[in-house]
Amino acid sequence: MLYYLIVCRSLTYAQRTAAALERAGISAYIMRSPKSIAGEGCSHSVKIAQRHLTQALQILNRAGLSPKRVFIAQGGYYEEVAL
Amino acid sequence: MIYLDSAATTLQKPPEVALASRYAIEHLASPGRGGHRPAMEAAAVTFACREAAARLFDVPTPEQVVFTLNATHALNLAIHTLVQPGDTVLISGYEHNAVTRPLAAIPNVTVKVARAPLFQPDAMYKSFTENLTPEVKAVICTHVSNVFGTILPMEKIALLCRSHGVPLMIDASQSAGSLPVSLKQTGAAFIAMPGHKGLFGPQGTGLLLCGSEQVVPLMQGGTGSESIRQQMPDFLPDRLEAGTHNVAGIAGLLEGLRFVERRGTQAILSHEQGLIHTLADCLSQIPNVEIFFSPEHQAGVLSLRAGNRDCEELGELLGEGGYALRAGLHCAPYAHETAGTLETGTLRASVSPFNTEQEMFRFADELARLVKT
Repeated sequence: MLYYLIVCRSLTYAQRTAAALERAGISAYIMRSPKSIAGEGCSHSVKIAQRHLTQALQILNRAGLSPKRVFIAQGGYYEEVAL
Repeated sequence: MIYLDSAATTLQKPPEVALASRYAIEHLASPGRGGHRPAMEAAAVTFACREAAARLFDVPTPEQVVFTLNATHALNLAIHTLVQPGDTVLISGYEHNAVTRPLAAIPNVTVKVARAPLFQPDAMYKSFTENLTPEVKAVICTHVSNVFGTILPMEKIALLCRSHGVPLMIDASQSAGSLPVSLKQTGAAFIAMPGHKGLFGPQGTGLLLCGSEQVVPLMQGGTGSESIRQQMPDFLPDRLEAGTHNVAGIAGLLEGLRFVERRGTQAILSHEQGLIHTLADCLSQIPNVEIFFSPEHQAGVLSLRAGNRDCEELGELLGEGGYALRAGLHCAPYAHETAGTLETGTLRASVSPFNTEQEMFRFADELARLVKT
């Protein structure tokens, strides 16, 4: 299954990100970032379905929560998306 | 027991507080330290608590709400960030040792004190205007005196600081939960508050509301973020929250904040001021009892002296009779110096939304009886 991971600098930031998406009706799930994409070590990501990415980015930009890094994930592989 | 020591800790709390703390002890783990359910549920509770505090205190984002051990811890973080050796700092004449001792620990700090008589906000504001000279690097001011309940003119002091470009730290230990406290409106650099007083959380909880991310941590350690780096993260709240959170305390604090939100700070203040007025009316009829009271500009704290009676001795006797008050200097020698009570100290009654008028009558009767003997 294909999905996107929005990597956040902190758990609190991830919680704000997820809350903003949920308020807009986009299901958002907070999880620990996979080790390979966590950057400087541990971080948290917000997982959203593939079909929601464009709308999610618009919502987050409007909320002042623009993501720094987004990855597309499939079968344990992660590829950074150019924003 | 009649509990009149809420300025130290509110003992009577909404029942949800203990239930939430107990639930946290039994079911919640460390937020940010695992992806499993107990950790994520703990994370949800801490976030909800940050959001509730942000709503109540007008903080732009929940990241700016930092959990601390108490107000003293929060004030130390703020002072550690804004005051450097050799700086000049302006404080009010009603500050607690939680402010003055950290300042005394920084080498060569000059402390200027804005003093004014009790319950005279205009005189206090004037004193701040006169003392806010160009060498002042930071201002620290309590919102309400923990000894006398006198309300300081915070909005005007905040405006003054903004107009001079001087950072302001507010000690909201006695006002959070009963007076309007706004990070946005005051433009304060920091607002510090305990969780265990007017916010009804358990002891061991406090909040630091941060006006910017430029903060200097007091402790270094794990944050569950950027673990490869050997420096603390440069973002809030992680930068100031090393180590495992007091999740049981935070869960209780969340319920306390919800109680304040439901009840409303205005209603809480009105109730407490009503009790203080009643108490003052009763006490003023007892010969030899001197009360420090103002029908205006006073929150839910009232100090008194009883003739030549030692305040600690009276406090002890009251305690034996089931009346819980605090006596002495209340960790605030500056406040006593300002009010002229440093030699004697005072006996302090402080109330919460859980006190009743009947309790004020009973306490006044008991004090009258003790003072007579």
